[in-house]
Amino acid sequence: MTETVIRQALRDSVNEVLERMFFVETQGECADPECAEPAGAAPADEIAAALTFQGEPPGALLLRLTSGAARQIAADFLGIDEAEVSDVQTSEVVRELANMICGSVLSRVESAAAFHLAAPRMVPPSAEIAGSLSNTRYCVLLSNGRLTVNIGTGIPICPQPAQSAC
Amino acid sequence: MAYRVLIVDDSPAMRTFVRRVIDLSGFELSQCFEASNGGEALELLRNEWVDAILTDINMPEMDGQEFLRRLSQDELLRSIPAIVISTDATAHRIASMASLGARGYVTKPFLPETLRAELERTLGVPCD
Repeated sequence: MTETVIRQALRDSVNEVLERMFFVETQGECADPECAEPAGAAPADEIAAALTFQGEPPGALLLRLTSGAARQIAADFLGIDEAEVSDVQTSEVVRELANMICGSVLSRVESAAAFHLAAPRMVPPSAEIAGSLSNTRYCVLLSNGRLTVNIGTGIPICPQPAQSAC
Repeated sequence: MAYRVLIVDDSPAMRTFVRRVIDLSGFELSQCFEASNGGEALELLRNEWVDAILTDINMPEMDGQEFLRRLSQDELLRSIPAIVISTDATAHRIASMASLGARGYVTKPFLPETLRAELERTLGVPCD
């Protein structure tokens, strides 16, 4: 898997998942220089979910959303008003979104291989994929915030950049 | 004719979404049941008959593979068509679930009309 292939799969997957399952259209790729910062520098108003996958190769996916975008996406997914969305529902939907993006990317890049996806979990927004052989990032603007995905092969998610023992 | 459908998924958000998509698709639903894993689904099926089952694969306690295996071993329940809904679109997984008795497979992300078409195909609903 080359980084170009993964990046294209990531872009296609994010756009397709958002359009088909969340009825959300992206507003284009994020040009904000903040997106280029390491995940450890994530702003405090973001929430994040991560999951690991086993297969050839193994790896991890980290999804970060600004809280406004997360709430909007949860409302669109559940078909309810944004004001009615609870924090628990937002977390459930963000985990589901991470799961769908990861499955879609892996199916695009390795459609014949067998992968096992672990259950997504919420992580601090400062988490990062450390020490992986490749780490591909894709960031898009939504009408109410920003969505950033990192997918890496090799090493699991670290809760904080300074903790390298995970 | 309206149908009774069971949705099996550990994510309450996903169950809500699938139910909503079935409604949006125009598929005629008379009753919709929910279970958060295979064991819960089997328990529910002791008391409620359904026309079709929509099941996830990765679930705690009893996953979709074991659930399909148990369904296929039950003389009564094996006739209920089960459709897998999963993010895993790999050929390996699709073949594996078919070998366990899945009659349909819908890959996330999907369109409402895709889910409706798969439900109608497995139920043998005649085309309009």
